[in-house]
Parts: sequence; structure tokens; C-alpha cells
Amino acid sequence: MKRSRFPFIVTGLVLVFFYLPILILVVDSFNASRFGGAWRGFSLKWYVRLFHEPAIWTAARNTLVIALIVTFVSLLLGTTSALALHRFSKSRFQRVHYTLIYTPLVVPEILMGISLLMAFVAAGVKLGMGTIILAHVTFCISYVALVVLGRLQDFDFTVVEAARDLGATGWTATRRVLLPMLAPGLAAAGLIAFTLSVDDFVITFFVAGPGSTTLPIRVYSMIKHGATPLINALSTLLLALTFTTVLVSQRLSKSGALEGGQ
Amino acid sequence: MAEFLEFKNVSKRFGAIQAVDGVSLEIKRGEFFALLGPSGCGKTTMLRIAAGFETPDAGQVFLAGREITDLPPNRRPVNTIFQSYALFPHLTVRDNIAFGLQIAKKPKAEIDREVETMLRLIRLEDQAGKKPDLLSGGQRQRVAVARALINKPGVLLLDEPLAALDLKLRQRMLIELDMIHDQVGITFLYVTHDQSEAMSLSDRIAVMNAGRIEQIGAPAEIYEAPRTSFVAAFIGDTNFLEGVVADHPEPEYSRLRIEGLPDATVYNDKQIADGHKIFLSIRPEKIQISRDRPEPKPKRNAVPAVVEDVIYLGPTTKYWVRAGEHRLQVLRQHARFFLDEKPIRWKDDVWVFWHGDDGFMLEGFRRDDEKLVAAPPQKVGEA
Amino acid sequence: MKNLRRRGQEFFLTLPSFFWLSLFFLIPTALVFILAFRPADPFGGIGRGWTTATIEGLADPQYLAIAWRTLWVSFLSTAFCLLLAVPTAYAVARAPERRRNLLLMLVIVPFWTSFLIRVFAWKSILHPEGLIKKTLVFCGLVDPSSQLLYNLGAVILVTVYTFLPFAILPIYAAAEKFDYRLLEAARDLGARPFQAFRKVFLPGIRQALVTAVLVVFIPSLGSYIVPDIVGGPGSEMLGNKIAQRVFVDRNLPLAGGLSIVLILAVLAPLLGVLALQGKKARIQPPEGGGKP
Repeated sequence: MKRSRFPFIVTGLVLVFFYLPILILVVDSFNASRFGGAWRGFSLKWYVRLFHEPAIWTAARNTLVIALIVTFVSLLLGTTSALALHRFSKSRFQRVHYTLIYTPLVVPEILMGISLLMAFVAAGVKLGMGTIILAHVTFCISYVALVVLGRLQDFDFTVVEAARDLGATGWTATRRVLLPMLAPGLAAAGLIAFTLSVDDFVITFFVAGPGSTTLPIRVYSMIKHGATPLINALSTLLLALTFTTVLVSQRLSKSGALEGGQ
Repeated sequence: MAEFLEFKNVSKRFGAIQAVDGVSLEIKRGEFFALLGPSGCGKTTMLRIAAGFETPDAGQVFLAGREITDLPPNRRPVNTIFQSYALFPHLTVRDNIAFGLQIAKKPKAEIDREVETMLRLIRLEDQAGKKPDLLSGGQRQRVAVARALINKPGVLLLDEPLAALDLKLRQRMLIELDMIHDQVGITFLYVTHDQSEAMSLSDRIAVMNAGRIEQIGAPAEIYEAPRTSFVAAFIGDTNFLEGVVADHPEPEYSRLRIEGLPDATVYNDKQIADGHKIFLSIRPEKIQISRDRPEPKPKRNAVPAVVEDVIYLGPTTKYWVRAGEHRLQVLRQHARFFLDEKPIRWKDDVWVFWHGDDGFMLEGFRRDDEKLVAAPPQKVGEA
Repeated sequence: MKNLRRRGQEFFLTLPSFFWLSLFFLIPTALVFILAFRPADPFGGIGRGWTTATIEGLADPQYLAIAWRTLWVSFLSTAFCLLLAVPTAYAVARAPERRRNLLLMLVIVPFWTSFLIRVFAWKSILHPEGLIKKTLVFCGLVDPSSQLLYNLGAVILVTVYTFLPFAILPIYAAAEKFDYRLLEAARDLGARPFQAFRKVFLPGIRQALVTAVLVVFIPSLGSYIVPDIVGGPGSEMLGNKIAQRVFVDRNLPLAGGLSIVLILAVLAPLLGVLALQGKKARIQPPEGGGKP
């Protein structure tokens, strides 16, 4: 029975579609020309210029600080949430809880941005790093909770019973068996939270204040002000970082960590 | 009856594995034909070639004299019952059965009529509106049968159709399949690894191993007169004995010299000349066992032995005995188990004996096939 | 006693996330509805008293046109995404295992790549001095004076580009689990390849198709960056209007009013899907999921 080639041709085109713009951008970052397009020779000058832009490094530092705090807090809140959803899945209260976890995923970012902005303005909270962290945790919880929940649902709890049978106390069984087995799932969830926080522009843009510029906000204003070659160089660096992250997450997903979530 | 479905020198390779290796096979119109063999023997590949899911690397397939080797599955008058049934989960029982006729754009009235007939045949009229996942295993199987038969295929291909059912249900479905075959009268090509299914249903069986056919014949022929050690060992259980033809006391009987045992009389229909080494297959139930030395009779072979293991199996008991260096299995049906005053026990000295007609000379023998036979008991750690 | 302890455990495990999301998601969302009925104060804050002027102002044909355009752009982007995602997901799911992992990774990488960067990449190649424009002009396919950037076509193209991975992943997850013997069964019963695909494969992955539609359609309704960067004045969407009210003239109540329109547009397809699926809902992670 011959298989149709059509899906494979489409896949090839889709991959070209995915990677061609990225590839051009990377190539252009080494182009000496100021406007891209025509090749004016290989150059690293945009990277050198990038290193002399203090605003970018401040933004990068802000982004990193925010992302680390957000990852930690949302892992904590998301995991407790997943445990509750899993252990008490028959409770009616958990159905409400689940809806509350699920809904932020289907709300467009701009709505979350405007509603948080209004809430902060109404409550008289000063916009800045703090409000960004609060906002990021709010959309990260749902991702963490669902990734960990997916992991728990695939989890074979008889191994915990086996540990109890072999004499472990409830806490020991949790610490020595459950947590190590959940670790890849937690790592994957953390990675997702981290990436989402680092990458978020729309919500951050709404709730950011003076002195809390993050990298995406910086990139956005560079795009708006036409600093093309610098963004190319910055993008290339970020892409390299992304590729590394994806490789790491692929390793994790080999042990099934990303199943159900991503 | 003429050949209806015919394979001519068909070969198929998957990567490093030669799944089917130059097989030729002729199946007659209306026949219930089984392809029997262990998993990986190529029987399912044969079926998939017949269905059109695989194209053979070499060879041809004919249906009613027309070559169909390269015809896509949707253009073959052949339908399949899949091992997992492959019922469409999003369609009701009725729509599953109607699928083929709907694709063929038959008039609605005709489709309705045919579906009703099929539902009656499989006795699921009251389940017609249900989705397949609400049905039991046996019901699903019947839907799969109806879905295939409604297209009135020239050949119905059945890929281990009973494998997913439990024992009792399997026995019931066996009878049903047999009845359906009698009613519709079309050709069945049945693939299975279960010898009892093949034995009880088929007109003829082809035993396959490693991509080749070892033997084709009626069930009794295959069991009673296996051509090779593989057939003897795969179908039922057996004892292998190696010996040299010594002489011919009678035209059709030879005396066989077996190391460590008294000479044995064997039926030699194959006219193997004196001095040739041969292998003998003796079915365990053909060997008798007793405490006392049996009366000598013409063509009776009797050997003293020691019982090494007794395995109670319900209707029968299996004894492992050692005779010289040979270990033999003997199956005994018991009529009065509890009333047997002198039951044979472990370590008893016994006699085992069989008629010369029951030792069957094999045309082909491979050492590897010995592994297919039940292994004699071993002490723990002896393995 | 045991029951009480269980209750307690449930309470302490649920409380943190429940409290957080109530405070930072539920209440703010409700606030949008309330503040839309407050007047704006001249300093960019929220005034006192109540007014329906903002909501009435939404009947402005300018806004209606933009709402309609938002729906239309989202619809087209979703349709294109599905047309590309179904064959791709199918091909990836049916590829031999080693190649499947590679393909899957190639599909996932853009998923993790910065959204802004991916939009920016298109801006620079669609640019009048960019590669695509030059190639097309060279091949004589477009007029040198034509504009590839800053129009509706560019917005749809880039929306498809950014959301396609989110459409592929849930469909792939379903296609990977799909029992392909069903396609063989359909062929066996006389179906041509495309008939088998349409009558058996597509119904078999229906749930994932719905997910894919939602993860593309809903975020594109709220699209803001894409029309902002590659669109022009003629391709503004609701998201741009909301952002303009916030960042340009700082009229938060009007931004709230526009958000209500957006919320209604988002709820419509969601409620439609829920109604279709009836009582099937149960606690389980979404297939594939996706970040909006």
C-alpha cells in the first residue's frame, strides 16, 4: 500500500517556513551592512556594539531576576495545586479549582495585561519589578500545575505502596520515591515557567513601570526605533540560548517529563 | 474445486528480516484455510499481501485467475478481520457495518436492508446504535465479521481474530465462525498461532516457519504425519529419537537402532534404505506406561524406564521418564483416577511401550526445533 | 477523624493557588467590567462616579469595523494553520521513530523561541530592502513599488507563522496515538486514500482539532504584537486599540470597554465548544496545550 507523499511535502515546506526567517536573521547579524539585505562582508561589529549597550544588560539582569523568582514561586504554587487536583480529583471543590487553573490558559494575554494593570492602578500599587513578578506568577501557575498534573496522572503509585511495604514511613516514601520520580516533571515545569517569564512581552508591557525594563520590552523598543542590526545580534544570542534549552528539555522529555503538558 | 487465491513464489523483506521467502500456495474456492505458525513466521505478512497492505518484493498473487499483486486494497474483492478488529470508534455498530456499502455508494434502501440482514446474522439487532467501545469483546468481533462480510468479498482474511478473547468466549466464537463459514460459503484465509483454532476450523492448514511453508495438509495429516521436526514440535508435543535404519524384517517396517535403547520397530513408508540416520517423532499420548512389563506383541516396542516427574493435568497426567540416556514424555488419560490402586509415582520403575506405527520418521530435522518441545524437569539451578 | 484530616490536607494544598488566582486573575477580570462604567480622569487614572458613555461609544463604526476585522483575521489564520498543521502532524506521527524525534524537535524549537524575535524576523525579510521582496521583484512576481509589509496579508502570514507550532503539537499528540490500522480497515472496505483520511482519520483526531482551533483562534483574537509590528493603519486589531487607549491617550475605562468586546469574542467559540462536548469534561491536562 503506497503512502501519499503529500503530507511529507507539506512538512518540508513548513520547516522551511519555520526556519528560513530565523536563518536569514542569524546570517544578517554577521553582515557588516547597516540595513541588511545586501551582503557587505562578515563582521562581528554588531556583537561588539551590543556589549557596549548598558541598557540591554540592565534589561537582561532584570529579566533574569524576575524569571528566577517567578519560577520558584510558580513551581511551589503550581505543584501544590497539581497535588490537590490529583489527590482529591473527585471533590466538587477541585472542579472549581481546575476551572480556575485552566481558564488563564485560554485568556488572551492582552486581556490579562489590561485587567492586571487596572487592578494595580485601582489598588494604588506602584508599577515596577514587583508587579511584573506578580503578573508572571499568575500565568505560570497554570502551566506548572498542568504539567505536574499530567505527570502525576501517569505516575504509578504502586511504587509508593511498594516503598511503604518495604518499611518506609509516608514522609520517607515521598522523599525517597515520589519526589525523585517527579523530579523530571518538576524540572520541565520549571523550565516552562522560566521560558514563559523570560519571553513575555504583552503582559509585562502593561504592568511594567519606570526602571523595570525587561529584555523583551527593550527588544520591542529597539524594533520600534529601527535598531535592526543590533536586534539581529541580540536575537542570535537568544536563539543560541533557546536551542540549548530545547536540547536540555528534550533530554528531560525522553523520560516522559513533558508528556501531557507540552 | 479450482485454485481461487494463489500465491506464486512470493517474497517480502523488511530491512534485515526476510518475512516471506518464496512462498507458493493455492487456496481453493470456499475453503477454510489456515496459516499456522509462531509469531514472526511470516503468516501475517502473507495475509497483508493478500489484503493489499503490503506489496511483495517478488512473486505474484492471483485471485480467481486475475493478477492482483499491485492492486490497492480498496480495489480488491477481499476483506479483512483485524486482530484488534479495527472498528471505527466514532461510528455506531450500524455505521461500522454499513461503511463498505456507503463507500461503494450503494442506494440507501439496499444498505439498510443488507445491514439488517447482517445484524441478524450476528444477533446484535438491539446493539445497532451503540459505539464499539460499549460492546464486549465477543460482540466487537461479530461486528468486525459483519462489517467485512457485508461487502460479499471473494476471500475473507482473518488475522488472529480470536486472540483478544478469553478462553470460553474463544471456544464459542470458534463455533460461530465455523457456522458463518458454512452459511456464507466464501473462502476464508485464517491466520493464527493457535494450533487448536487451526485444527478445529480448517479444511487445510499451512504450517509456516521463518518465512517458508513447512507442510500443507488436512489437520489430521499435519498432526499424525508431520514432515519435519518443526511441524512435529510446533503442533502438539512430541518426543524425538535419533536412530539408524538397521534392516527390514518386513517390507514396510524397519528396525531402528537407537543408542542406549533396545532396537525399535518403525513404520517405514518412505522406504529409507538401511544404514541411513533418521529422526523419529513419537507423540506422548501414543506411548503407554505401566508398572508391569507389557506382553510382547508384534511391532510393539517396550522399554524399561524410571519416572522422573509426574504432572497432573486434569483429564490427563504427564510422566517424564528416563530410559537409558533418553528422556521421554508420556501422556496418560485416566478413566478412574482415585480408584487406581497402584498409581505411578516419582522414582517408580516402569515400562513404556508403543506400536511401531506410531513412531513417525521425519523428512527434515533441525536441532533448534527440539527447543519447541516441552523441556524435561530440571533441578533448581541446573539450567 | 480521617475525613477531617483529608479535608484539611485538601484545603492547604488548594489554598495557595486558589487564593493567588482569585486575587490576581478573577478579581482583575471582574474589575475590567466594573471600571468600564467609570469615567476616565484627565491624569490617566480612574475617575469617580458611574457612566455608560464608554459602552455607548463602542457602537462607533470604527470599532465595529475593527472588531469584524479581528474576527476575520483570526478565522483566516486559524484556517491556514489547520491546513498546514494536519498534514505536518500526520507526517511527523507516521515517520520512523528516529526521524520522528528529529522532526518533532524541529517543530518544537520555534515554540520555545522568543515571540518578538520571530515577528521581527519577518519584518526584516518582508522589508522593502529585505530578501523576500528583492527575490520576488527579481522573479518579476511583484511590482517594485508594491508593499509587502504593513498590510493585512503580512498580519495573517506572521500570525500563522507564530501560531503554527501551537496547532501542530496537539494534533501531533493525537495523531501519534491514532490507531493507523483503522486506515487500513477503511482501505480494506473500499475507501480511497483520501476518503479513508477524511472519514476515519479526521474524526479520530476531532478532539485535537478542536484544541488546535482554540489555541490559535483565541490568542489571535487578542493579537497585538503582530499587527503592531508588521501591520499598518489598515490592519489594526482590537488588541492595538486596547493598547492605544492604555499607552497613547491613557483612557483606561475605554480600554476596559474594548476588552469586554474582546472577552465576548473569546467566550463565543469557547462556549460553543463546551456546548458541543456536553458533559464530557473531566479533569485531565489539555492535549498539547500551548502558551498563548
